[in-house]
Amino acid sequence: MAQQRAGQKRKVVEIPLAEQVEDNVLGNGEFDEELAEDDGSDEDEEFDEDDVEEDEELDSDEEPLSEDGEDVRQQLRDVKTSSSVEIVDTDKDPDTDLATNGTYTPEKRPADLSNYDISVDANGNPRYIYKDIEPNYDTDDSDAPITKNTIGNIPLSYYDAYPHIGYDVNGRRIQRPAKGAALDSLLDSIDIPAGWTGLTDPATGKPLNLSREELEVLKKLSRNETPGDGYDPYPDMVEYFTGKGMEEVMPLSAAPEPKRRFVPSMHEHKRVMKIVKAIKEGRIKPHKEPTAEDLENEEQAQEYAQYDVWANEVPRPDHAMNMPAPKLPPPGYEESYHPPPEYLPDKHQQDEWEKQDEEDRTRDFLPKDHSALRKVPGYAKFVKEKFERCLDLYLAPRVRRSKLNIDPESLLPKLPDPAELRPFPDHRSIEYLGHKGRVRTIAIDPTGEYLATGGDDGTVRIWELGTGHILQKVRLSTTDPVNIVSWRPVASPPILAACCADSVHFIVPKDSATVAQSEAHTLLTAGFSSAPAIPTKSATGVDKPNPSSWHTPIPAHASQSISLTLSLRSTPKTLTWHRRGTYFATVCPSSSSPSTAIAIHALPTHTSQHPFKRLKGLPQTALFHPSQPKFFLATRQRVRIYDLQAGKLVRELLPGARWISSLSLHPGGNNLLIGSYDRKLLWHDLELAPTPYKTLRYHTRAIRDVAFHPSLPLFADASDDGSVQVFHGKVVEDGFENATIVPLKVLKGHKVRGELGVLGVAWHPREAMCVSCGADGVVRLWA
Amino acid sequence: MSSASATAQVKIQLQTKSPELQIPKEIGPILVRTGFKRLQLSQLVNTLLENGENHIPLQFLINGQYLKTTIDDFLTQNGISAETTLSVEYVKALIPPQTIASYEHDDWVSSVDVFSSPQQSRILSGSFDGLIRVWGMSSDLLATGTGHSSAVKSAKFISPTQVVSSSGDRTLRLWKYEDSDIGTASLTPTLELYGHNASVDNVAVHAPSSRMLSASADHTVGIWSTRKSDAPAAQEELIPVSNKRRKITPTAKPTATRGPLTLMSGHASQVAEVCFDETYATIAYSVSWDHTLKTWDLATSKCVDTRTTPQSLWSVCHLPEKSLVAAGTALKHITLIDPRVSAQTVSAMTLRGHTNAIVSMARDPNSSHQILSGSYDGTCRIWDLRSVRNDASERIGESVFIIERDAVRQAKKLGTRREDIGGVKVFGVAWDAEVGMVSGAEDKRVQIDRQT
Repeated sequence: MAQQRAGQKRKVVEIPLAEQVEDNVLGNGEFDEELAEDDGSDEDEEFDEDDVEEDEELDSDEEPLSEDGEDVRQQLRDVKTSSSVEIVDTDKDPDTDLATNGTYTPEKRPADLSNYDISVDANGNPRYIYKDIEPNYDTDDSDAPITKNTIGNIPLSYYDAYPHIGYDVNGRRIQRPAKGAALDSLLDSIDIPAGWTGLTDPATGKPLNLSREELEVLKKLSRNETPGDGYDPYPDMVEYFTGKGMEEVMPLSAAPEPKRRFVPSMHEHKRVMKIVKAIKEGRIKPHKEPTAEDLENEEQAQEYAQYDVWANEVPRPDHAMNMPAPKLPPPGYEESYHPPPEYLPDKHQQDEWEKQDEEDRTRDFLPKDHSALRKVPGYAKFVKEKFERCLDLYLAPRVRRSKLNIDPESLLPKLPDPAELRPFPDHRSIEYLGHKGRVRTIAIDPTGEYLATGGDDGTVRIWELGTGHILQKVRLSTTDPVNIVSWRPVASPPILAACCADSVHFIVPKDSATVAQSEAHTLLTAGFSSAPAIPTKSATGVDKPNPSSWHTPIPAHASQSISLTLSLRSTPKTLTWHRRGTYFATVCPSSSSPSTAIAIHALPTHTSQHPFKRLKGLPQTALFHPSQPKFFLATRQRVRIYDLQAGKLVRELLPGARWISSLSLHPGGNNLLIGSYDRKLLWHDLELAPTPYKTLRYHTRAIRDVAFHPSLPLFADASDDGSVQVFHGKVVEDGFENATIVPLKVLKGHKVRGELGVLGVAWHPREAMCVSCGADGVVRLWA
Repeated sequence: MSSASATAQVKIQLQTKSPELQIPKEIGPILVRTGFKRLQLSQLVNTLLENGENHIPLQFLINGQYLKTTIDDFLTQNGISAETTLSVEYVKALIPPQTIASYEHDDWVSSVDVFSSPQQSRILSGSFDGLIRVWGMSSDLLATGTGHSSAVKSAKFISPTQVVSSSGDRTLRLWKYEDSDIGTASLTPTLELYGHNASVDNVAVHAPSSRMLSASADHTVGIWSTRKSDAPAAQEELIPVSNKRRKITPTAKPTATRGPLTLMSGHASQVAEVCFDETYATIAYSVSWDHTLKTWDLATSKCVDTRTTPQSLWSVCHLPEKSLVAAGTALKHITLIDPRVSAQTVSAMTLRGHTNAIVSMARDPNSSHQILSGSYDGTCRIWDLRSVRNDASERIGESVFIIERDAVRQAKKLGTRREDIGGVKVFGVAWDAEVGMVSGAEDKRVQIDRQT
């Protein structure tokens, strides 16, 4: 009966456990002590019996439930006796008591029956047959059964000193669940969570929570009642595995592996041996015999490989002796096997191409259309093409041309913008009209008020610079041109020297103040008293004609405010004043003897010197140095610098011009401009080499005149091409920097008459204005 | 597009600075069609002024520029939105000047001056032949003054009966002018003023204080008195001892000679022109080739202020209403200089348009906005100082009208080459309310133009 009941009860326990337990707890912990006491002793006995009997019947499936039930029961017992919440050892189970008796009953193994079956081996020892563990469900899995303590009979109190309370089946420590402080437990007791029982799950050490239904079921079970309302204690047997048609064939068996699984197959062995025999007898050959053709191909391939000199080429660094082959251009559309229709030649083009000589063809193939790649025939010219390519690579010398990626602008010297170099003359301002024929020479007086010009009509004209009005016209000759006009470089009194034919006339402008006029007159005529001309005797005793004679002007000239005339024996082409206005030099290139060609005259004493007895080359023009006693003399191709005090040659410049036309010295005295008839303008830095510092070739015709501005960094040249060019020429005095030369402006306006353009150019002493005179008879002011 | 713009309208606010042209105050911004030109706007304003028959031709300034096209074109050119209210200033229209007469001389005419009264107007011209001439309005030569031994550089009326001239012979001469009969008059020299060592290039006159200023090529500015009694005696060595002319004409008794009150030196180069400050007669301005404009205090004969420009200055004109001094340069433009000490920049405005040096300038007697300039390029130009555009660095004015020489105009009509006419450099200009614009030039003529 008890056995039956237990079986029945067990089935009941399976489902509505929670209810019973809860009821039980309610009764237990709070108010129903009496009830619990009533339940007490008889129950114990019953359970004891039940358990023993039950365990014998246990299946592996049902084991956990029964154990749980037992634990609960044990705990309930403990509650009844001590009414204190403690972790209770599972070992105080009656079944473990049995185990300690010494007689071992394998059926009564308490834990983990789900994992293995226990049987007795041949020696009578227990044999554990573990069930297969499904590989996907490891112990880590959340679905895995909760950890069970494996400490066996050892009381839990043994673990009090440790943080863990035992070990699970795999030997891992089961950690002691965190216990709240006393206050926490108090609070827990006040605010009872749902399902609180005050019991501790001995397997986990955690508080054991049971639902009300579970407690109810427990309570009913403990009273030997049916666990629930809908409980059928005698249900119909459900025949899962028995009965007709339900016989289960067990799919798995523990039968040992059949021998055939690990013994080689006789059948296969026979088949293999058959093949082996056939091979031995030569009926089956291990590889194909190479034919003659194959051998040949192989040989060819090897041969080809021998000549592939670039096969193992490694990239080498760039070097003149090692040049990579130039790359072929990539193929174009025409070379496609199926080119777009616009690339296909029409009939006419085809004929034309065929008619052309092979060498003249722009490309050596005709684009052809093939509907598919497999229809493309072999390339007939392949070998030829490759041969030619190889020939090219082998024979054509390869020269590396470094590609110059230079911006041409960057090669130009860095010049300042002309707009920054203002002021400079850039437009025509005033025309001085009146001369008939060429105007050969031009000069602005040191005050900048008057302008003097001389021309082929034999007149010297003095103009008012600011208005263009003529102040005075002096007719020096009716036949000979006026070659030179030159103002005495001292502002007051104004004296103009003009060279016409072989004489030099000194003009005092009649417009100047009376005081100045008388001053000028005294200055010019003072020499008559001081220096009587001493006729030099020649070796023969005959009076040698004096190469220069000073005399009062003829009446025709005297009435035109000429105060003094100096007669030379040949036509002076250059008259240059010394800075102080006491000396001036004349150069007569046409002079018969070189000794008289160059003369330096002293105005106050009316004396003339001829310092150069011999001269190499034909003299052209001359200059005084503004501050040092130096004299610059230009022959046709050379410029020589003489020291007047020491009377010796200091320096010789080699401008490289074929015929020097004019000289101009920078007011600083260290830079010389040389204009030449062979179109070159040469800038000499006298501190540098005797060759030019800069050669300016901007004119298409001969340069007639060149002039530095007296105060501003400007210079200008006049050329036969009818233009005056203005340059910025800045000289830094400290000598650490070379002169900056910037072309500023080409002043055009003079007409070219009979191969002659602009004949003279002169600067205003202070303003950035220049005047020029031309063969067209026009004098212009440029502002 | 055109139809759309023709119907488009723009709001304008009309205003003027001349009191006689004020439209009634209550007229606010007016909507006008953008297709309007100057004429339509002028008619509109005349209607507002209720002028009736006698229309006053008007011109319109928008943002300092004269309206010459339709408003629409003006807006598109200047990138102004048609949504904004345009502030339009209207002024009496300038009529293009027309040549009335030209008086022929024997030599280049260096300077002109006009004395006008409602009864009679006289034109004075100085010529490079050393003569000064007085002309009536009907191209009749009334009187000739002989005496200068060199070119007359400048001639001015002091009063209807007194004339001063300066010459390249380093003297200034005072003349007495008398209208004797109908058609004739006499110029008799009254005083010769010696003091300068070089050509006296310009003379300025202030009649109320009987002071004259002279600009000379000897770098000085002279102060002279127009009265013989005030003037000190001249330096003896400056007076030519043997004057041939006087020898030849024994009848003429020698003219009295006087010297300057002061010669003010300070310029580093020849002084080109000098002028009185029109509000304070004790202040004068002089310009020189040394690039400077100097302000002189005549009471102390001291240079008060110097303004240096980048180029030589050849002419000067004071504009009292604008407190500016216009200085014509040896290059191509006129620089307007604020001479006041507070002025930060030298150049307040630049008038560009001439192609050569500007040698003479005159103020519009009727308006403070306009000046006339004569240049070596052979033209006179009228400038309106209201018409300004701002360039990158400076304010630039453009000329309103260009007066060419009659000969050039004829040549253009006939298609003659410019070279055949000869030089047409203008040397002197004068602007008189009655007579008009008078200019003397290298073509040996005095040309009179008037806006009729």
